[in-house]
Amino acid sequence: MIPSDHFVRFYNEVFKFLDEKNDLEAYYLHISRHQEFHCLELFRDKGVAGIYEYYLKIRKEENCDMEMELKEHEFSFFMRKCPSLSKAIDNDAGVCPKYCLHCSGWLLPLLTKAGLYVIYDMMAPDDPRCRMRIFDDLEVAKEAQKDLTGFSDAIRCNF
Amino acid sequence: MLRYQENNELHMDFHGTTNATLEYIADKYGVEALEMILRRTGSRVYKSIHDKLAAGDASELIEHLNWFFNREKGRYNLSVSPEKIVFEVLECPAIRHLRKLGMEPSEHVCLQTRCVNEGMCENTMWRASLEIIGEGHCIQSFKKEL
Repeated sequence: MIPSDHFVRFYNEVFKFLDEKNDLEAYYLHISRHQEFHCLELFRDKGVAGIYEYYLKIRKEENCDMEMELKEHEFSFFMRKCPSLSKAIDNDAGVCPKYCLHCSGWLLPLLTKAGLYVIYDMMAPDDPRCRMRIFDDLEVAKEAQKDLTGFSDAIRCNF
Repeated sequence: MLRYQENNELHMDFHGTTNATLEYIADKYGVEALEMILRRTGSRVYKSIHDKLAAGDASELIEHLNWFFNREKGRYNLSVSPEKIVFEVLECPAIRHLRKLGMEPSEHVCLQTRCVNEGMCENTMWRASLEIIGEGHCIQSFKKEL
């Protein structure tokens, strides 16, 4: 058994293998379909409040150092220290440079299926911080997108 | 002393993602590719355990087995002698959690154990073997070849 504590270091080895095969995107979609089992009903039924509920569990179980905020049409978080990337970095096998991409890779397709709109800023692939804003109203999401100071490769949207 | 010694909350649902990943790699690239990734995990991620085994020291491996199976509330028996370590898992926490989630364990679920253990022992005087007794019940052995 790979301990659940060490899953991300195994995941990191899988990313290295799949990156060589140019197959990361298809894998992320596979994981996204798997995650539907845990999240899709919650996200569809409760919208941004469902996302908040999901990340309450994730913050506790994955030991995230993060701030979260829930408003009427928006859920947002700022991850001060991502435990997942932190473990992938604190790893004798070395971190996959594309490690952070898995998060948007599985989450964005799932949020799209749930009818939600996301702006996800991964910030930097070697820095375990990121921020995310999720909306249930496309126009509100588009307004928020205008506020982005620099549209870089580190930012992902599903609209 | 453990190289990785997590001691805070657990996210057991990661066993579900591992299960889905085992299926993806085996279906698309074959079981041999999956075995290679798992062996690399054993030898590279657990480099510290591997290097100590290569030097004849099984202390971190023993601590690793105890620490993480206790954290996940697995039931097991561990017996240690200078030449052999026998770790009998009576209830595998990963399979127990998959069942709790209502998921079918992948047919490759026990490859995690066999290949990661083999990777830890790669190019050392230790040989890992795995005997499956039943679902969630296995005997993992590490034998020093003199």
